[in-house]
Amino acid sequence: MDPGILRERYHLSEREYERLVKMVNHRAMALNCMLYRANRLAPIALNLHEFCVLLGTRLGPLLTEYSLSYPHTNVHFYLECDRFCRFVLSKVNEGYYLEPETRAAFDEEHSKIQLGLAASYTVI
Amino acid sequence: MHRGRPLAGLLNNPVVPSVIRYAPELVEYIDVIPDRLWYDFEHGEAIGSRFHRVTGAIEELKECAVGRVLGGHGIGLSLPSAIPIDMAMVAEVASIAHELNLQWFSEHLSTFLVSHGSVPNSQAGLGLPVPYDEETLQIIKSKLAILKNALGCDLLLENGAVFTPVPDTEMSEPEFLNRLHAEAGCGTLLDLHNLYVGLVNGVLSPVEYLEQLNPECVQEIHLAGGHELAGFYTDSHSNLTPQEVWSWAYHYGPRFRNLRAIVFEFHESYLEKLGLQGIAGELERIRDLAEHVASGVSESAAAAHVS
Repeated sequence: MDPGILRERYHLSEREYERLVKMVNHRAMALNCMLYRANRLAPIALNLHEFCVLLGTRLGPLLTEYSLSYPHTNVHFYLECDRFCRFVLSKVNEGYYLEPETRAAFDEEHSKIQLGLAASYTVI
Repeated sequence: MHRGRPLAGLLNNPVVPSVIRYAPELVEYIDVIPDRLWYDFEHGEAIGSRFHRVTGAIEELKECAVGRVLGGHGIGLSLPSAIPIDMAMVAEVASIAHELNLQWFSEHLSTFLVSHGSVPNSQAGLGLPVPYDEETLQIIKSKLAILKNALGCDLLLENGAVFTPVPDTEMSEPEFLNRLHAEAGCGTLLDLHNLYVGLVNGVLSPVEYLEQLNPECVQEIHLAGGHELAGFYTDSHSNLTPQEVWSWAYHYGPRFRNLRAIVFEFHESYLEKLGLQGIAGELERIRDLAEHVASGVSESAAAAHVS
């Protein structure tokens, strides 16, 4: 990636620019990205485990599309998962096919997420 | 002269009560993550307040707290970030701190939040490295003052697991922590496993680090184990503490005259792998280490504990 994109997006001092370029080119930057994706995936993997397993190789592209559509992570796991579920449902309505077993797992896990979300409103 | 034997403890998670039931005498201290005791509706449709408590977990924690000391270990305030501190979260942290009688409170010397308007995602999802410059020092000092005023207890900052350190900084990390201690009264939560992560990944020398760090800063130690991911070693809290980490703890521990607690961190998803017996074993070793620290044993005697 062209480091010039940094100057397009941000007002940086020379020291800040040089630092960012070195960090981006560090061999461990790929690990940072991996950990970010893993932490973004974690609530979905925990609460929609069967659905994720049954999706198999279709999970990656679906998550990528979701994270591009919703770049702001919600730290409330149930809100994040419920939003992902509504995203999946909107895709299904647009023709995205889910095998019956996958759809059944999704519906069951989505129901549990909605119960968890309702239960998280502990202050009226 | 040590103030007393440091307490042996665990970082709280949903299965810590099981460990306490298994070996109640071994857990003297619990590090409480307040962020895991609430649901944050900041970006959702809140009914009533923004924060809704996880009431069951809090009640269970209160039962576990009987006869034990509790401290706080926050993850959400992102103190080094150059954005205003989240005052609503500070208030919620203070409320929990007072309700649970947290004796001290630690946060991370890492950024977790970035400006909402500058980047697509305002929550980084992992601890990002910090530039150890004068500017950052002043940002953190001003936020520590706010936090201290709200909580009224001692504050500590924890060294993070850094994979891509910020290059060419004005200070080293230990120098930065020393300055925070001298100028803001902020102690250090020394995560020895995070130093091990840096060693294995080739980004720092733990011995140099520990020699440079003012031992008066250190009030808490964290121990943990990790695993390899994509050719790097991570602080995944998935394993028992590596032997090299224990050797540093025994060697340097007696210098930490203000050490109050030594904590083992494990993620609840690894309970089956570690086993209650394995975790109890770590706590027994921590108790032995705490006795060693309290006795202020000489460095030559410390070498005898390494094997």
